[in-house]
Formats: sequence, C-alpha cells, structure tokens
Amino acid sequence: MNNKIFLRDVVGNYMLNLGDKDEKVVVVNADLMGTCRNKTFVEKYPNRSFNVGIAEQNLVSFSAGLSAEGYKPYAFTMAPFMSMRACEQVRTDIAYGNKNVKLIAVYSGLSGGISGPTHWAIEDCGIMCSIPNMIVVEPSDKKEAESLLEESLNINKPIYFRITTESTKDIYTEKTKFKIGKSNIPIKGNDGAIICSGVTVQFAIEASKIIEEKTNKKFRVIDMHTLKPLDEKEIINACNTKNIIVVQDHNIIGGLGSLVANVIATNNLNTKFKILGIPDIYPVIGHANYLYNKYGYDTEGIVKTAIKMLKED
Amino acid sequence: MKNIIKELELKSKEIRLKLIKLSSIESIHIGGDLSSTDIMTVLWQYKMKYKYQDEFRDRFILSKGHASALLNLEQAMLGCYEEQKVYDEYAKDESMFAMHACNMKNPYIEISTGSLGHGLPVACGIAVALKLKKNNKSYVYVLMGDGEQSEGSVWEAAMNATKYKLGNLVVFIDNNDLEADGHINEITSLGDIGNKYKAFGWNVININGNSIKELVETVDNLPKPNTDIPTVVIAHTTKGYGVSFMENNLRWHAGKINEEQLEIATNDLLGKRNNNE
Repeated sequence: MNNKIFLRDVVGNYMLNLGDKDEKVVVVNADLMGTCRNKTFVEKYPNRSFNVGIAEQNLVSFSAGLSAEGYKPYAFTMAPFMSMRACEQVRTDIAYGNKNVKLIAVYSGLSGGISGPTHWAIEDCGIMCSIPNMIVVEPSDKKEAESLLEESLNINKPIYFRITTESTKDIYTEKTKFKIGKSNIPIKGNDGAIICSGVTVQFAIEASKIIEEKTNKKFRVIDMHTLKPLDEKEIINACNTKNIIVVQDHNIIGGLGSLVANVIATNNLNTKFKILGIPDIYPVIGHANYLYNKYGYDTEGIVKTAIKMLKED
Repeated sequence: MKNIIKELELKSKEIRLKLIKLSSIESIHIGGDLSSTDIMTVLWQYKMKYKYQDEFRDRFILSKGHASALLNLEQAMLGCYEEQKVYDEYAKDESMFAMHACNMKNPYIEISTGSLGHGLPVACGIAVALKLKKNNKSYVYVLMGDGEQSEGSVWEAAMNATKYKLGNLVVFIDNNDLEADGHINEITSLGDIGNKYKAFGWNVININGNSIKELVETVDNLPKPNTDIPTVVIAHTTKGYGVSFMENNLRWHAGKINEEQLEIATNDLLGKRNNNE
C-alpha cells in the first residue's frame, strides 16, 4: 500500500488515458497546468490543449464553446477560482446550457493550507450543489478518482470534480466498483455511521478502527464521493444506527452535512446527528493537517465526537 | 449591388415596424433593438450562411442577449418559425421566447445569453473548435453592446482570440453610445473601443452601423474564415434609430409603447415624420 498519493497527480496524469481513448477530449488550462499536473496530456496532444492564461472566467466560457461544437473539455484550475471567480460562467455558460464540460478543481477545502484563504475553497460544495444540472464529485483515493474520471467520459453533462491537494492513502482494491451517484462503504458497522468524502474518508476509516478498540462499537464509513446526486438510500439506511456523523473539508453550512441533514429531515428520520467541518469562519493560517485537527474533523476529532455521541444513549 | 442595398433597407424597415408592433404588446429592449437592426438584417438576411444544424453554417452569438426580440424577428423573417408566434408567445408563460436570448425551447439560438461579457468568450471556444474540426468555411459572428465592453471577461477573450488566430471570428459592436444609466463615457472611461482591440492585435473596422450600404460593403470584404486575425466592426449607431421620440433617449432602453406612441413610431418609420432631422 502506497502511503502518500496526491489526487491532483492522479487526475492530471489520468487525462492521458482519456485522451488516448477519445479524440474529442480536450484540456483547457488557465496558467496552472503545472499545479494541475496535466502536462503529460499537453505534451502528447498539443493541438487538443489550450491555455487561456490567468483568466478563469474565460477558461470556463471558452470550454463551453468547445463543448457546443462536440468536444469534451476538461477545464482545470484551483477550486476557489473555479467556483467563485468563474461562478457565473459555470452557472450560465455551462450549467444553464447543460454543457458537457468537466471542471477539475484542485485545492479543495483547506488543502491549500498555508497558501491562505484566497487559495482555500470552503464554500464550493454549497455553490456547485445549488446549481441545476451540475454533478458534484469528490474522490477519496486513487482508484476511486481514476474510476470516476473514466466514467465521466461517457456522461454528457457538466461535472465538478473537487480534488484535494493533501495526500491520500489507498483505500480500495483493484476489484472495487464505483459509480457516480452510488456511495462506497469501505468499513461496515451497525452502531453508527460516518458519512464523508474526499480527504476526510481516510480520517473516518482510522477513526472507526479506534472507536471500535475503545468502545467495542462499530461505525460504518460511507464514502459519499458523489455529493450530487446524493445517494439518499444509503443515508436512510445509515439512520438505523441512530448515530450519524458527517465529516467534510468545507464550511459547516452548505457542504455534505447540510445535504445529509436535508435527507434526514425530509424523510422524518430519528437519529443523533453531528456535522464536523469549518465552523463558518475563515480559519487561521496553518498547514492543512493542523487545521483539520484544530477544527475537529481529523481522526482525533471524529473519535471524540463518536465517543461523546455514544455516551448520550 | 444597388438592388441588394435597397432590398435590405426595406427589410430593415420591415423589422423595425415589427419591433414596434411587438413593443406595443410586451416590453422589449427597444432602444438597442432599433440601433442593432441594420447590423442584424445584413447578417441574417444577407451575409450569414444559415441552415439549421448544418455543420458548415455560420454561427451567431447574440452577446447583447437583451436584443432577443430582434433576433427572434430576424429568425422568423428567415423562416425558422412563424412571425405571428413571436407576437403570440414573446415573454409569455412557457414560451420559447424570453426577454434574453434563451435556447431551451428555441434551437435556432446557438448559445443562451443575457448576462453581458459571456458571448465573446464562448464564441472563441466555438471558433477554435471549428478550426480543430478543420471547418474553414464557417464564420462565428458575435454582436456585442458598447456598454458591454466594461466587462473584464470581454478583454480576456480579446487576448485569447488573437492567441488562437481566430480569423473566423467577426464581432460587431453596436456602438450607440448609451448604456442603461447614461452615456458610455460618463458611466466608465471606455474611450476609443477600436484602438483597444487594435492594441490586442485585431483587425478593426469603423463604420456607420445604421447604413446598410456601409454594412454590406463591410461584410462583402471580410477576411476569409481560414485567415489568422479576428475582426471587430465598430458600428456607430443611434439608440432607438428611426423612431423620433426614442432616438438617443435613455427612457427607451426598454419599454412598452401605447397606441398613440405606436402611431407616431409607425409614421416615423414609414417616412411620414414631420420634423426635419
């Protein structure tokens, strides 16, 4: 098991596979080809690679135009710029027209760390999930990222890929199957459920093991790699455990927690429920792992929350 | 040549009469519709190769999406749908015609627009895609407003167009000098629009945009689509052109007219105007 894998490397490099498979695939950059790690595609397919400069609005609108003529653009930049600088272009030129453009947004959540708040995206799930036609995906490991990217090739709709720059670990085996809109369950358990996505899945898996050691209770880990459309069935099932913790590298408002809460409330389900994430502030400057700990959504924070929750029984 | 100009002048007048009729039924962006009418008529009824879904059709993007009524009437004149449908359905519930160009129910609109500064960036993507497909026959036409030039995204695209050598891209700017709140140089310090495009490496043409003759001469002499330099036509126009009480009058950026105004406007357009301009 490789211990340090960076999903932006995985995703950027995997573009080459998509490019080999489908000549309609084009890559559009906004002066962050290096940061987004898609140089291998650009070098092999220079005619199908575009770089619009530091102009994210143009990145998105230009991609919409390519899509209007039948190409399959994968547009790359950092999540804060994709979701906010170019927000109206995403909404009007991509989503309103239901264009086949894949938005690959790196630096999700606080993974930008000491780059500071300009390079964090703690609002993007709320923004993207509220845009009609937009599919929102946040992979947690290499296998999952590659598989979901592969699937995206044949989905003729816009997809926002939320990619962390923090390291991830291998979670799944070669045999694991993934499908956009269907969650994966890397850890089974019936005493509680940790619903999570992206970088937080590895924290949840570790936490579940520690919780079992300390309390003899087994917490299921639900990797909700698709935030929209949400796998409601699995959330409803999880409520039978009566202990739900949602973990997200996002503001506490508008992220996975809000989405899960909506399912619980509209289905009149009875469960204890806790959302872990950024408490509606702009955090202090710090490395991502420091911040995940400070705001209580790393392994330690999840364990504490679960133990407290179990004591409420 | 003379016959073509005469014919197009008549068609332009016909479109203006239809716009006036529509504005007596629903509020439309009449001021900017009337200033753009000659540009649009020369494009849609003369220059553009347009056959629905044909790969080699010319593409048209109405970046000033608020001139949707004009686009709808040009498309109706071309036979895309019945003119009466526009009067019956424009801005009605469940309609195919919105106040800003919307292609959800109108497939003849390439790209939905309305928010300004989007048309040119999207058109650059289309133009580059045509080159990638080795389509050397189609033009991509864009109509923008002059106030719209304040949007930063326009200039992002202006750079992109020269970088990717989009000689198949032809932009018309309806330079009627007025935007919603006032004169364009009072609202911002826009200055000489043509020189700005020239600085970005564009082929710049300045003409009277309410002269069918100048418009026809311009479109007859455009660089071919397989060339390398994008073209912008700064079309100097009059907002509300052809209707006495609307010309250069901010009040008529958008609006609905009453019966009395309809009569005056109709007489103006039919050349029965009393005042000497």
